[in-house]
Amino acid sequence: MSSTGTGTQPPPHVIEAARSPVMASAIAGRTKVLPILELALLIAASIAPLVLRDYITVYATRVLILCLFALSFDLVWGYAGILSLGQSLFFGTAGYGVALLSRDFGVASIFAVLPAGTLIGFVAALLLAGFLLLGRHPSSVVFVSLGTMTGAYAADRLARGSHYLGGQNGIPSIPPMTIGSHELSEGPGFYYLVLAILVLIYLLSRFLLRSQFGLALAGLRENEQRIAFFGYNVQHLKAIIFAISGAIAGASGSLYAFHEGFVWTNMLGVVMSTQVVLYVLFGSGTLIGAVIGTAIVEGLSFWLSDNYRDIWPIILGVLLLLVILFRPLGLISLVLGERERVGHFGPSLKEKRNAAP
Amino acid sequence: MDTLLIATFEILSFGAIVVLVVLGLGIIASMMGIFNFAQGEFVLLGAYVTYLMHSVGLPVPLGMLAAPVAVGTLGFVLEKLVVRRFYAAPIVAMLGTYALGLIIREAVRGLTGGLYLSVPEPISGSITIGSLHFAAWRGVIVIITLLVMAASHALLAYTSFGLRVRASLENPQLARASGISTGMIYSVTFAFGAALAGLAGALIVPVFSLFADLGIRFLIQGFVAVMVGGVGSFAGPVAGAGVIGTFSAWLPWLMSPVIADVLVFVLAIIFIKFRPQGLVSGRGVNR
Repeated sequence: MSSTGTGTQPPPHVIEAARSPVMASAIAGRTKVLPILELALLIAASIAPLVLRDYITVYATRVLILCLFALSFDLVWGYAGILSLGQSLFFGTAGYGVALLSRDFGVASIFAVLPAGTLIGFVAALLLAGFLLLGRHPSSVVFVSLGTMTGAYAADRLARGSHYLGGQNGIPSIPPMTIGSHELSEGPGFYYLVLAILVLIYLLSRFLLRSQFGLALAGLRENEQRIAFFGYNVQHLKAIIFAISGAIAGASGSLYAFHEGFVWTNMLGVVMSTQVVLYVLFGSGTLIGAVIGTAIVEGLSFWLSDNYRDIWPIILGVLLLLVILFRPLGLISLVLGERERVGHFGPSLKEKRNAAP
Repeated sequence: MDTLLIATFEILSFGAIVVLVVLGLGIIASMMGIFNFAQGEFVLLGAYVTYLMHSVGLPVPLGMLAAPVAVGTLGFVLEKLVVRRFYAAPIVAMLGTYALGLIIREAVRGLTGGLYLSVPEPISGSITIGSLHFAAWRGVIVIITLLVMAASHALLAYTSFGLRVRASLENPQLARASGISTGMIYSVTFAFGAALAGLAGALIVPVFSLFADLGIRFLIQGFVAVMVGGVGSFAGPVAGAGVIGTFSAWLPWLMSPVIADVLVFVLAIIFIKFRPQGLVSGRGVNR
């Protein structure tokens, strides 16, 4: 430990600590913030419906669904560096899709609508990615964000103008989702279902990102050219993560449609896309950051919307700007080191290197 | 024949509006290499300033003169405080300017109470040529756009300030080494681009009326136009704006406006996909 020679004890989040492998492993061993944070949040979320009043539980369910949505945006922006300003396209398309499924075909079983919504989001994202990302010329970041934004705008406009989709009013009074013969209405039951889905998808994403694929994605965000030089097909990587994130957004969109009981054009358009950008301001590039960000933003909105309804969006915008300016890694970087953010890859290898200098 | 003339006039006047919005966006994108996602909100702000001047009882043309000055000043301040930190990171810049736009949009939404507000045309009525009637205000928009375009081009191509701007555009290091304060040039250029957007907002508010989401549509339109035209030159964005403006005004004559609106963007995105460098691929300002 004395090898650094500096008398001062650096705070855990200082990146310089990672320079010396000894220090880094010592610090990483001492302060594993991420698992503690995740576990604490899971426990808090599990007991929340027991202590909260019913109407707040309903609100919390919505927040959890939006967490799922935020997760999908975090995957593309926080990890792959694709600024998808049309993430609501997949969210809304899946929402509309399952709403139509229940309106026109009377399908409301969770085992039908959830896969259907996920599939809709996946296919929509795959098609968009296939067009925007793949091709002979690599697409610029600006082009992709513009393309996704246009996609969301176009979907919003078309839904507004379509009688079949209900025009401005959207599709109202979607019947509740069913599991077998049991009707799933708002409340603790729905809450725990969403929580279970969220945890499952969170763990899947976590597994995916801690794999070789995730490391390549992180590299993509940091330096796309270098990853290309390493022989990765950058465009394919981007398209894959984009489609996965579309699927997650689709799942959350279908849950949202059944939870709220109606879908309307804002779910498709720029409003929702803007919201999801705000969610990850507390920590893009960490999965937990997106979840915490959603919880904080939505929680504060719920709390403040009575008194400060008009200025609240402005405050959010200012916060986002300040974070981008001074904490580009998000507020979560206050408690989480760079090394832990990216994750460890091959810890056994590192141990060996330390053991035999 | 008459319908054709009127249609041509409609297309011309709408194209002029798009050109005004895009000119500022294109100049900023070409100069600094960042895409300003707050540009649509600068348009909105110009419209709002005009409405504000009108609502306190001042004549509308005065408000239209004040709008570019106010928005340009704000652009200058924002560049100094915020945007200049983003030049090294164009991707973060998009998110940052997006946040800026969000702040402006929500502020205006709060100030207008989420309503649609209208501002009367300073020159109402129509001009009659033969048996044809043209909306006078739209004619004024076309004329002002032509003047602004000519003035911007002259400023960039024939003045010593323009020379410095072009030098900073072509080779910032060499420009700095030659004693040009590129930082100052960037600030002024950003302010100029913002002022153009403010002017556009002021001119269109009688036509479109004021509402908080006014900027979003113009933002997408502007971006698409810049990319269709090609980043880096003066002629590119103008050409792109002409194309997009023409299609946006022409297609609704053929099909339902909703489909037309979407189709323009989709066609443009497809075009950009297969020709990323745009219509005009050169750099610089032709004299």
